Amino acid sequence: MTNVNCDQLIDYLNGTLNEQEQKQFEAHLAECPECREIVDATGELPYLADPVEPNTGMKSRILDAVFDEEEHPASLAEERTKRDSPAPPATMAKRGFRTSKWTPLVAAALLVSLLGNAYAFYELSDQPDAPAAPEVAFETVDLQASEAFEGTGTAALVHEEGALNLLVQANQLEPTSGDQVYQVWLLKDGQPIPTGAFTPSQENEGAVFFSLDENTEGWDTIAVTLEPNRGNTMPQGEIVLSAAIDPEA
Amino acid sequence: MEKISDALLYERVRGKDKDALEELYDRYEKMLFSYLCKMTGDRDLAEEALQEVFVKVWRGVGSYDESKGKFVAWLVTMSRNAAVDLIRKQKKPSVPLDEIAEVESTDSSVEETAEWQEKSEQIHQAVRHLSEEQQKMVHLFYFKGYTHETIAEKCGIPLGTVKSRIRLALKKLKTSLQMVQEGGVLDDKREL
Repeated sequence: MTNVNCDQLIDYLNGTLNEQEQKQFEAHLAECPECREIVDATGELPYLADPVEPNTGMKSRILDAVFDEEEHPASLAEERTKRDSPAPPATMAKRGFRTSKWTPLVAAALLVSLLGNAYAFYELSDQPDAPAAPEVAFETVDLQASEAFEGTGTAALVHEEGALNLLVQANQLEPTSGDQVYQVWLLKDGQPIPTGAFTPSQENEGAVFFSLDENTEGWDTIAVTLEPNRGNTMPQGEIVLSAAIDPEA
Repeated sequence: MEKISDALLYERVRGKDKDALEELYDRYEKMLFSYLCKMTGDRDLAEEALQEVFVKVWRGVGSYDESKGKFVAWLVTMSRNAAVDLIRKQKKPSVPLDEIAEVESTDSSVEETAEWQEKSEQIHQAVRHLSEEQQKMVHLFYFKGYTHETIAEKCGIPLGTVKSRIRLALKKLKTSLQMVQEGGVLDDKREL
Protein backbone atom coordinates (compact mmCIF):
# COMPACT_ATOMS: atom_id res chain seq x y z
CA MET A 1 0.00 0.00 0.00
CA THR A 2 1.41 3.34 -0.98
CA ASN A 3 -0.27 6.64 -0.42
CA VAL A 4 0.73 10.15 0.50
CA ASN A 5 1.41 9.19 4.10
CA CYS A 6 3.57 6.20 3.20
CA ASP A 7 5.67 8.57 1.12
CA GLN A 8 6.54 10.52 4.26
CA LEU A 9 8.25 7.56 5.86
CA ILE A 10 11.76 8.68 4.96
CA ASP A 11 11.13 12.22 6.18
CA TYR A 12 9.88 10.70 9.41
CA LEU A 13 13.00 8.57 9.79
CA ASN A 14 15.13 11.56 8.91
CA GLY A 15 13.42 13.62 11.62
CA THR A 16 12.48 16.35 9.16
CA LEU A 17 8.71 16.44 9.56
CA ASN A 18 7.25 19.43 11.37
CA GLU A 19 5.26 18.82 14.52
CA GLN A 20 1.91 18.51 12.80
CA GLU A 21 3.22 16.31 10.00
CA GLN A 22 4.95 14.17 12.59
CA LYS A 23 1.69 13.63 14.48
CA GLN A 24 -0.14 12.83 11.26
CA PHE A 25 2.50 10.36 10.23
CA GLU A 26 2.51 8.70 13.62
CA ALA A 27 -1.25 8.26 13.32
CA HIS A 28 -0.63 6.74 9.90
CA LEU A 29 2.04 4.47 11.34
CA ALA A 30 -0.44 3.09 13.85
CA GLU A 31 -2.70 2.14 10.92
CA CYS A 32 -0.20 0.99 8.33
CA PRO A 33 1.46 -2.36 9.09
CA GLU A 34 3.81 -2.06 6.13
CA CYS A 35 5.32 1.25 7.23
CA ARG A 36 5.59 -0.08 10.76
CA GLU A 37 7.37 -3.22 9.60
CA ILE A 38 9.80 -1.14 7.60
CA VAL A 39 10.49 0.97 10.67
CA ASP A 40 10.95 -2.21 12.72
CA ALA A 41 13.49 -3.54 10.22
CA THR A 42 15.63 -0.42 10.69
CA GLY A 43 15.97 -1.47 14.33
CA GLU A 44 18.20 -4.31 13.15
CA LEU A 45 20.56 -2.14 11.09
CA PRO A 46 23.04 -1.48 13.93
CA TYR A 47 24.02 -5.15 13.74
CA LEU A 48 25.72 -4.35 10.45
CA ALA A 49 28.35 -2.58 12.54
CA ASP A 50 31.17 -4.39 14.27
CA PRO A 51 30.58 -4.72 17.99
CA VAL A 52 32.51 -2.08 19.91
CA GLU A 53 33.13 -2.21 23.65
CA PRO A 54 31.77 0.91 25.39
CA ASN A 55 34.18 3.60 26.57
CA THR A 56 35.45 3.17 30.12
CA GLY A 57 33.09 4.82 32.59
CA MET A 58 30.65 5.70 29.83
CA LYS A 59 27.56 4.34 31.52
CA SER A 60 27.96 6.35 34.70
CA ARG A 61 28.85 9.51 32.75
CA ILE A 62 25.77 9.19 30.60
CA LEU A 63 23.35 8.26 33.37
CA ASP A 64 24.70 11.03 35.60
CA ALA A 65 24.19 13.51 32.79
CA VAL A 66 20.70 12.20 32.09
CA PHE A 67 19.53 12.42 35.70
CA ASP A 68 21.40 15.66 36.25
CA GLU A 69 19.41 17.25 33.43
CA GLU A 70 16.36 16.62 35.52
CA GLU A 71 17.66 18.56 38.47
CA HIS A 72 18.73 21.43 36.28
CA PRO A 73 16.11 21.47 33.56
CA ALA A 74 17.65 23.79 31.05
CA SER A 75 16.53 24.19 27.52
CA LEU A 76 14.04 21.61 26.39
CA ALA A 77 10.48 22.71 26.22
CA GLU A 78 8.97 19.49 27.44
CA GLU A 79 8.51 19.73 31.16
CA ARG A 80 7.55 16.56 32.82
CA THR A 81 9.66 16.81 35.90
CA LYS A 82 7.02 18.29 38.18
CA ARG A 83 4.99 15.16 38.15
CA ASP A 84 7.55 12.89 39.51
CA SER A 85 9.83 14.83 41.71
CA PRO A 86 10.52 13.31 45.05
CA ALA A 87 7.62 10.94 45.20
CA PRO A 88 7.45 9.20 48.54
CA PRO A 89 8.54 5.59 48.29
CA ALA A 90 5.62 3.49 47.22
CA THR A 91 4.41 1.67 50.24
CA MET A 92 2.36 -1.38 49.63
CA ALA A 93 -1.28 -0.73 50.25
CA LYS A 94 -2.22 -2.42 53.48
CA ARG A 95 -4.51 -5.37 53.71
CA GLY A 96 -8.07 -4.61 54.38
CA PHE A 97 -9.15 -3.27 51.08
CA ARG A 98 -12.16 -4.73 49.54
CA THR A 99 -11.95 -6.86 46.47
CA SER A 100 -14.65 -8.71 44.72
CA LYS A 101 -15.13 -10.35 41.41
CA TRP A 102 -17.91 -9.15 39.20
CA THR A 103 -19.35 -10.76 36.16
CA PRO A 104 -18.68 -8.69 33.07
CA LEU A 105 -22.32 -7.72 32.85
CA VAL A 106 -22.47 -6.43 36.40
CA ALA A 107 -19.16 -4.72 35.91
CA ALA A 108 -20.39 -3.05 32.76
CA ALA A 109 -23.48 -1.83 34.53
CA LEU A 110 -21.34 -0.56 37.37
CA LEU A 111 -19.01 1.24 35.00
CA VAL A 112 -21.94 2.98 33.37
CA SER A 113 -23.25 3.87 36.76
CA LEU A 114 -19.94 5.27 37.95
CA LEU A 115 -19.42 7.23 34.78
CA GLY A 116 -23.02 8.37 34.95
CA ASN A 117 -22.43 9.77 38.41
CA ALA A 118 -19.28 11.50 37.36
CA TYR A 119 -20.93 12.82 34.22
CA ALA A 120 -23.87 14.14 36.23
CA PHE A 121 -21.36 15.85 38.46
CA TYR A 122 -19.64 17.56 35.60
CA GLU A 123 -22.93 18.62 34.12
CA LEU A 124 -23.87 19.99 37.47
CA SER A 125 -20.68 21.91 37.96
CA ASP A 126 -21.28 23.72 34.71
CA GLN A 127 -24.14 25.50 36.36
CA PRO A 128 -23.04 28.99 37.39
CA ASP A 129 -24.32 28.56 40.92
CA ALA A 130 -23.37 24.94 41.31
CA PRO A 131 -22.79 23.84 44.88
CA ALA A 132 -19.26 23.12 46.05
CA ALA A 133 -17.88 20.25 44.03
CA PRO A 134 -17.94 16.89 45.74
CA GLU A 135 -14.61 15.11 45.78
CA VAL A 136 -15.15 12.92 42.74
CA ALA A 137 -12.67 12.44 39.96
CA PHE A 138 -12.62 9.79 37.34
CA GLU A 139 -10.43 8.67 34.53
CA THR A 140 -10.91 5.98 31.93
CA VAL A 141 -8.09 4.56 29.89
CA ASP A 142 -7.88 2.06 27.08
CA LEU A 143 -5.38 -0.61 27.94
CA GLN A 144 -2.74 -1.28 25.31
CA ALA A 145 -2.17 -4.90 24.39
CA SER A 146 1.37 -6.18 24.48
CA GLU A 147 2.89 -7.66 21.39
CA ALA A 148 1.30 -10.99 20.46
CA PHE A 149 -1.67 -10.46 22.76
CA GLU A 150 -5.04 -10.20 21.08
CA GLY A 151 -7.15 -8.95 23.96
CA THR A 152 -8.41 -5.46 24.66
CA GLY A 153 -9.35 -3.79 27.87
CA THR A 154 -10.51 -0.65 29.59
CA ALA A 155 -9.90 0.63 33.06
CA ALA A 156 -11.93 3.16 34.99
CA LEU A 157 -10.56 4.83 38.09
CA VAL A 158 -12.89 6.71 40.32
CA HIS A 159 -11.75 8.69 43.33
CA GLU A 160 -14.62 9.12 45.69
CA GLU A 161 -14.64 10.09 49.33
CA GLY A 162 -11.03 9.20 49.93
CA ALA A 163 -11.27 5.81 48.24
CA LEU A 164 -9.97 4.76 44.87
CA ASN A 165 -12.30 2.47 42.97
CA LEU A 166 -10.82 0.63 40.07
CA LEU A 167 -12.73 -1.25 37.47
CA VAL A 168 -10.99 -3.23 34.79
CA GLN A 169 -12.75 -4.94 31.94
CA ALA A 170 -11.17 -6.98 29.20
CA ASN A 171 -12.39 -8.76 26.10
CA GLN A 172 -11.04 -11.28 23.61
CA LEU A 173 -8.90 -12.77 26.33
CA GLU A 174 -6.99 -15.94 25.79
CA PRO A 175 -8.42 -18.68 28.00
CA THR A 176 -6.41 -19.47 31.12
CA SER A 177 -5.27 -22.95 32.00
CA GLY A 178 -4.64 -24.60 35.36
CA ASP A 179 -4.28 -22.04 38.15
CA GLN A 180 -3.58 -19.15 35.81
CA VAL A 181 -5.36 -15.86 36.44
CA TYR A 182 -5.31 -12.43 34.89
CA GLN A 183 -3.96 -10.17 37.61
CA VAL A 184 -4.42 -6.41 37.67
CA TRP A 185 -1.67 -4.20 39.13
CA LEU A 186 -1.35 -0.55 39.93
CA LEU A 187 2.17 0.82 39.71
CA LYS A 188 3.77 3.83 41.26
CA ASP A 189 7.36 4.55 40.23
CA GLY A 190 7.64 1.01 38.99
CA GLN A 191 6.44 -0.55 42.24
CA PRO A 192 3.38 -2.73 41.73
CA ILE A 193 0.60 -3.69 44.07
CA PRO A 194 -1.95 -6.36 43.16
CA THR A 195 -5.43 -4.97 42.64
CA GLY A 196 -7.66 -7.88 41.87
CA ALA A 197 -7.58 -10.90 39.61
CA PHE A 198 -10.01 -12.59 37.30
CA THR A 199 -10.40 -15.50 34.95
CA PRO A 200 -12.13 -15.08 31.61
CA SER A 201 -15.69 -16.17 31.02
CA GLN A 202 -16.64 -18.56 28.23
CA GLU A 203 -17.07 -15.48 26.06
CA ASN A 204 -13.42 -14.68 26.85
CA GLU A 205 -14.39 -11.61 28.82
CA GLY A 206 -13.33 -10.72 32.29
CA ALA A 207 -13.69 -7.93 34.76
CA VAL A 208 -12.73 -7.04 38.27
CA PHE A 209 -13.68 -4.28 40.65
CA PHE A 210 -11.27 -3.23 43.33
CA SER A 211 -11.34 -0.56 45.96
CA LEU A 212 -8.44 0.96 47.89
CA ASP A 213 -9.15 2.81 51.10
CA GLU A 214 -5.63 4.07 51.57
CA ASN A 215 -2.66 4.92 49.43
CA THR A 216 -5.06 6.06 46.77
CA GLU A 217 -2.86 8.74 45.15
CA GLY A 218 -0.04 8.90 42.68
CA TRP A 219 -0.49 5.71 40.67
CA ASP A 220 1.06 6.18 37.26
CA THR A 221 0.53 2.87 35.48
CA ILE A 222 -2.02 0.11 35.34
CA ALA A 223 -1.11 -3.30 34.01
CA VAL A 224 -2.63 -6.73 33.63
CA THR A 225 -0.40 -9.79 33.73
CA LEU A 226 -1.13 -13.42 33.13
CA GLU A 227 0.01 -15.00 36.39
CA PRO A 228 0.70 -18.70 36.90
CA ASN A 229 -1.43 -18.59 40.05
CA ARG A 230 -3.57 -16.35 42.18
CA GLY A 231 -2.25 -14.31 45.10
CA ASN A 232 1.18 -13.17 43.90
CA THR A 233 2.36 -9.96 45.53
CA MET A 234 4.87 -9.33 42.74
CA PRO A 235 4.24 -10.05 39.08
CA GLN A 236 5.66 -13.32 37.79
CA GLY A 237 3.88 -13.51 34.47
CA GLU A 238 3.95 -11.59 31.22
CA ILE A 239 2.26 -8.23 30.92
CA VAL A 240 -0.63 -8.52 28.50
CA LEU A 241 -2.35 -5.16 28.85
CA SER A 242 -1.14 -1.86 30.23
CA ALA A 243 -1.60 1.88 30.15
CA ALA A 244 -0.24 5.01 31.74
CA ILE A 245 -2.62 6.79 34.05
CA ASP A 246 -2.50 10.30 35.33
CA PRO A 247 -1.12 10.31 38.88
CA GLU A 248 -2.91 13.60 39.50
CA ALA A 249 -6.32 12.28 38.56
CA MET B 1 9.96 -13.34 36.30
CA GLU B 2 9.99 -13.09 32.54
CA LYS B 3 11.99 -10.34 30.94
CA ILE B 4 9.89 -7.23 31.04
CA SER B 5 9.09 -5.66 27.68
CA ASP B 6 10.83 -2.54 26.42
CA ALA B 7 7.48 -0.82 26.12
CA LEU B 8 6.64 -1.38 29.75
CA LEU B 9 10.08 -0.26 30.86
CA TYR B 10 9.53 2.85 28.81
CA GLU B 11 6.20 3.41 30.56
CA ARG B 12 8.08 3.24 33.84
CA VAL B 13 10.63 5.71 32.53
CA ARG B 14 7.75 8.05 31.81
CA GLY B 15 6.88 7.67 35.48
CA LYS B 16 10.50 8.74 36.21
CA ASP B 17 11.73 5.34 37.27
CA LYS B 18 15.52 5.61 37.10
CA ASP B 19 16.04 1.86 37.37
CA ALA B 20 13.86 1.36 34.31
CA LEU B 21 15.98 3.83 32.35
CA GLU B 22 19.12 2.07 33.45
CA GLU B 23 17.69 -1.27 32.36
CA LEU B 24 16.90 0.13 28.91
CA TYR B 25 20.37 1.64 28.77
CA ASP B 26 21.96 -1.69 29.60
CA ARG B 27 19.92 -3.46 26.96
CA TYR B 28 20.94 -1.18 24.13
CA GLU B 29 24.22 0.43 25.16
CA LYS B 30 26.48 -1.80 23.15
CA MET B 31 24.28 -2.06 20.11
CA LEU B 32 23.74 1.68 19.81
CA PHE B 33 27.30 2.59 20.72
CA SER B 34 28.68 0.22 18.10
CA TYR B 35 26.33 1.69 15.53
CA LEU B 36 27.20 5.26 16.50
CA CYS B 37 30.93 4.50 16.40
CA LYS B 38 30.59 3.15 12.90
CA MET B 39 28.56 6.15 11.85
CA THR B 40 30.73 8.86 13.41
CA GLY B 41 34.08 7.08 13.35
CA ASP B 42 34.74 8.66 16.73
CA ARG B 43 34.21 7.13 20.18
CA ASP B 44 33.70 10.48 21.91
CA LEU B 45 31.20 11.69 19.39
CA ALA B 46 29.38 8.37 19.61
CA GLU B 47 29.18 8.73 23.39
CA GLU B 48 27.86 12.26 23.04
CA ALA B 49 25.18 11.10 20.63
CA LEU B 50 24.19 8.22 22.90
CA GLN B 51 23.90 10.61 25.82
CA GLU B 52 21.58 12.85 23.84
CA VAL B 53 19.39 9.90 23.01
CA PHE B 54 18.97 8.90 26.64
CA VAL B 55 18.45 12.47 27.79
CA LYS B 56 15.58 12.64 25.32
CA VAL B 57 14.18 9.31 26.45
CA TRP B 58 14.29 10.51 30.06
CA ARG B 59 12.65 13.82 29.28
CA GLY B 60 9.95 12.23 27.20
CA VAL B 61 10.85 14.06 24.02
CA GLY B 62 9.03 12.51 21.06
CA SER B 63 7.38 9.96 23.24
CA TYR B 64 7.19 6.34 22.25
CA ASP B 65 4.31 3.92 22.22
CA GLU B 66 3.85 0.59 20.52
CA SER B 67 1.83 2.05 17.67
CA LYS B 68 5.15 3.45 16.42
CA GLY B 69 6.68 0.03 15.95
CA LYS B 70 9.38 -1.61 18.01
CA PHE B 71 11.05 0.38 20.74
CA VAL B 72 14.51 -0.51 19.49
CA ALA B 73 13.70 0.88 16.04
CA TRP B 74 12.57 4.10 17.65
CA LEU B 75 15.87 4.27 19.54
CA VAL B 76 17.85 3.61 16.38
CA THR B 77 16.05 6.44 14.57
CA MET B 78 16.81 8.81 17.44
CA SER B 79 20.42 7.67 17.52
CA ARG B 80 20.88 8.16 13.83
CA ASN B 81 19.41 11.63 13.95
CA ALA B 82 21.45 12.62 17.01
CA ALA B 83 24.61 11.52 15.21
CA VAL B 84 23.62 13.28 11.98
CA ASP B 85 23.19 16.51 13.94
CA LEU B 86 26.51 16.16 15.75
CA ILE B 87 28.37 15.32 12.57
CA ARG B 88 26.85 18.34 10.90
CA LYS B 89 27.64 20.66 13.82
CA GLN B 90 31.21 19.52 14.09
CA LYS B 91 31.69 19.46 10.35
CA LYS B 92 33.43 16.25 11.06
CA PRO B 93 33.94 14.05 8.07
CA SER B 94 32.22 10.79 8.70
CA VAL B 95 34.08 7.56 8.17
CA PRO B 96 34.56 6.32 4.65
CA LEU B 97 31.82 4.12 3.35
CA ASP B 98 33.12 0.67 4.05
CA GLU B 99 32.13 -2.53 2.56
CA ILE B 100 30.11 -4.48 5.07
CA ALA B 101 32.72 -5.80 7.43
CA GLU B 102 32.74 -9.19 9.03
CA VAL B 103 32.05 -9.25 12.72
CA GLU B 104 35.16 -9.33 14.80
CA SER B 105 35.12 -11.10 18.10
CA THR B 106 35.52 -8.93 21.16
CA ASP B 107 36.02 -9.67 24.82
CA SER B 108 32.33 -9.62 25.67
CA SER B 109 30.52 -12.59 27.11
CA VAL B 110 29.99 -15.66 24.99
CA GLU B 111 26.23 -15.31 25.23
CA GLU B 112 26.30 -11.69 24.19
CA THR B 113 28.62 -12.41 21.32
CA ALA B 114 26.46 -15.30 20.17
CA GLU B 115 23.37 -13.12 20.14
CA TRP B 116 25.21 -10.40 18.28
CA GLN B 117 26.46 -12.89 15.74
CA GLU B 118 23.04 -14.30 15.11
CA LYS B 119 21.51 -10.85 14.63
CA SER B 120 24.46 -9.76 12.57
CA GLU B 121 24.28 -12.76 10.27
CA GLN B 122 20.58 -12.19 9.73
CA ILE B 123 20.90 -8.55 8.79
CA HIS B 124 23.97 -9.15 6.64
CA GLN B 125 22.13 -11.89 4.83
CA ALA B 126 19.10 -9.66 4.36
CA VAL B 127 21.25 -6.82 3.01
CA ARG B 128 22.82 -9.12 0.43
CA HIS B 129 19.42 -9.37 -1.23
CA LEU B 130 19.38 -5.68 -1.99
CA SER B 131 20.70 -4.39 -5.25
CA GLU B 132 23.99 -2.54 -5.15
CA GLU B 133 22.14 0.74 -5.51
CA GLN B 134 19.82 -0.13 -2.64
CA GLN B 135 22.71 -1.15 -0.39
CA LYS B 136 24.34 2.16 -1.16
CA MET B 137 21.18 4.06 -0.17
CA VAL B 138 20.94 2.24 3.15
CA HIS B 139 24.60 2.86 3.89
CA LEU B 140 24.55 6.51 2.99
CA PHE B 141 21.42 7.09 5.04
CA TYR B 142 22.20 4.92 8.05
CA PHE B 143 25.97 4.68 8.26
CA LYS B 144 27.41 7.70 6.56
CA GLY B 145 25.28 10.19 8.43
CA TYR B 146 23.83 11.73 5.29
CA THR B 147 20.38 13.23 5.24
CA HIS B 148 18.31 12.49 2.17
CA GLU B 149 19.01 16.03 0.98
CA THR B 150 22.75 15.42 1.16
CA ILE B 151 22.38 12.15 -0.72
CA ALA B 152 20.40 13.93 -3.43
CA GLU B 153 23.13 16.55 -3.71
CA LYS B 154 26.08 14.18 -3.68
CA CYS B 155 24.56 11.68 -6.07
CA GLY B 156 22.91 14.28 -8.32
CA ILE B 157 19.50 12.64 -7.99
CA PRO B 158 16.24 14.52 -7.34
CA LEU B 159 15.19 14.49 -3.65
CA GLY B 160 11.90 12.73 -4.38
CA THR B 161 13.74 9.97 -6.18
CA VAL B 162 16.19 9.59 -3.31
CA LYS B 163 13.33 9.25 -0.84
CA SER B 164 11.52 6.66 -2.88
CA ARG B 165 14.76 4.73 -3.43
CA ILE B 166 15.53 4.65 0.27
CA ARG B 167 11.99 3.60 1.00
CA LEU B 168 12.13 0.85 -1.57
CA ALA B 169 15.48 -0.33 -0.22
CA LEU B 170 14.16 -0.45 3.33
CA LYS B 171 11.01 -2.20 2.18
CA LYS B 172 13.02 -4.87 0.47
CA LEU B 173 15.27 -5.13 3.50
CA LYS B 174 12.20 -5.68 5.67
CA THR B 175 10.94 -8.46 3.40
CA SER B 176 14.25 -10.24 3.16
CA LEU B 177 14.88 -9.88 6.89
CA GLN B 178 11.51 -11.41 7.64
CA MET B 179 12.30 -14.30 5.34
CA VAL B 180 15.69 -14.82 6.92
CA GLN B 181 14.23 -14.69 10.43
CA GLU B 182 11.33 -16.98 9.65
CA GLY B 183 12.98 -19.36 7.28
CA GLY B 184 16.38 -19.66 8.88
CA VAL B 185 18.93 -19.86 6.13
CA LEU B 186 17.83 -18.24 2.94
CA ASP B 187 19.28 -19.11 -0.39
CA ASP B 188 21.32 -16.07 -1.29
CA LYS B 189 20.43 -16.30 -4.92
CA ARG B 190 16.70 -16.53 -4.40
CA GLU B 191 14.85 -13.58 -5.83
CA LEU B 192 12.51 -11.78 -3.48
